[in-house]
Amino acid sequence: MAVRRPAQEPSTKGVREELLVQAAQSDPAKFDALYELYFYRVYYFLAARVRNRATAEDLTSEVFHKALANLPNYEWRGAPFGAWLFRIASNALADQYKRASRDPAAPNDPPETSANTDLSSRDLQAIENQVQIFGLVKKLPAAQRRVIYERFVDQRTIPEIAARLKKSEGAIKQLQFRALQTLRAQMEGGHA
Amino acid sequence: MPKRSPAEQLDLAISALLARPQQRQAPRPGPRVAKFATLVRSLRDLPRPEFKLALKTDLQRRNSMNEAAVPSPAPQKLAQFRRPDFPNIAPYFLVNGAPKFIDFLVSAFEGTERIRVPRPDGAIMHAEVAIGNSVIELGDANEQYPQRSMTTHLYVPDADATYARALKAGATPIYAPSDDHPSGDRWGEARDPFGNTWYIATRKSRVVAPEGFLTVQPYLHLRDAHNMIPFAEAALGAAATGVHKSPEGLVMHATIEIAGATFEIDEAQGEVQPTQSNLHAYVPDTDAIYAQALRAGAIGITPPSNAPYGDRAATVKDPYGNTWFLATYLGTGRAKP
Repeated sequence: MAVRRPAQEPSTKGVREELLVQAAQSDPAKFDALYELYFYRVYYFLAARVRNRATAEDLTSEVFHKALANLPNYEWRGAPFGAWLFRIASNALADQYKRASRDPAAPNDPPETSANTDLSSRDLQAIENQVQIFGLVKKLPAAQRRVIYERFVDQRTIPEIAARLKKSEGAIKQLQFRALQTLRAQMEGGHA
Repeated sequence: MPKRSPAEQLDLAISALLARPQQRQAPRPGPRVAKFATLVRSLRDLPRPEFKLALKTDLQRRNSMNEAAVPSPAPQKLAQFRRPDFPNIAPYFLVNGAPKFIDFLVSAFEGTERIRVPRPDGAIMHAEVAIGNSVIELGDANEQYPQRSMTTHLYVPDADATYARALKAGATPIYAPSDDHPSGDRWGEARDPFGNTWYIATRKSRVVAPEGFLTVQPYLHLRDAHNMIPFAEAALGAAATGVHKSPEGLVMHATIEIAGATFEIDEAQGEVQPTQSNLHAYVPDTDAIYAQALRAGAIGITPPSNAPYGDRAATVKDPYGNTWFLATYLGTGRAKP
């Protein structure tokens, strides 16, 4: 699927990001801005590799807590702040693989990918594409957005969603279809 | 067999994909829905909005907690109004059986008794116990100042060891220190035999010099805690240095600084009942702060006067019922009667 526009999240490059980092270093309360900038990227980076929501959430939490704790030691050297975050994420992922390999209780939950977490430009583009989709979902009409979250995040069945939203199953399927049509059109049309 | 609509075909493909979470590739869909395949796979990785918000909240709370432990650089500059050895806002405990309470503080928290002023009847009028780099004050409860259960936050080098000592000294365990606390610190909780709650924590998130943070900080559980911030700012010249609110606007944690020393607040809810505390705060100008506090809605208890122990002292009660002993060090005397 073509993505013609950059991600909807703020740019991760350049002076603005450096200023955000400096602001957070002098006032950790301003870490919020970096969190908003990178949450989806870090989450997707991890979710795509562990394919387990609970583990992805645990690792995402670990990454941001470590980043916040170590922010005073971070030195801006021109590379995107994201590179530092992804390195923390990679380490967290590697630790997770080690734990999983030692845990006989979890033999059925292997990671899909290897611990090789070096990011190619293609990987980074995939992350940006994903971030764009996450951003577009937030802009869907409320009813469509609700169905998408119920279906994909909570993984409820159509009958379950219909009961929760007090609509017919056919109506839910239509909302789901329209949401995906909207998202696809926006992705391809390049307007969100 | 009736022909399925595009919406139904798409839903079948989605159902198949969601049923096989380990597969990167969705089952081969019909041509009308194949164009959605990448999008459908992407949506499978949508994060839960609740998780995104909860993590943000955790991080904010951790920041707020950290600020509680890192005083601003102002104290050195402002130190002349502060009695030596009083770096913190001191919780002033009034208990029934002050001598035993001192024993508890010494045993549980490796406190050092530094002043004890007895009454003729043997009760304690005033005592001070140093803990770490901070001080706690106490006396026997009386009619004017009855016993109150207060909450205090201690930062110690080894929360587990301190927690164990506190239990050995007679405290009731609430929960043992763990790394799971949202502050990011190692954190446990115990209740002393006098009904006071102690948060026993060791900082894990940011390395600071041992003298770089205060060991003792009062922790107030308040109903409508958000109102304390503007009150403290207007009445006590305070500044909120870290405020973390829930989406509903409840203060989950806030650190409030008065002249370089801090106390913490949160919303009393659930099992956590509101507390009323006694707090001894040094301020640059007791007279000015006293007048300011009354204008902001505090109740005057004792107007400013020169105390024989060398402080300009006054007492007010805030709208939550907390008693504030305000003081400015005048530079003479030492022992406090």
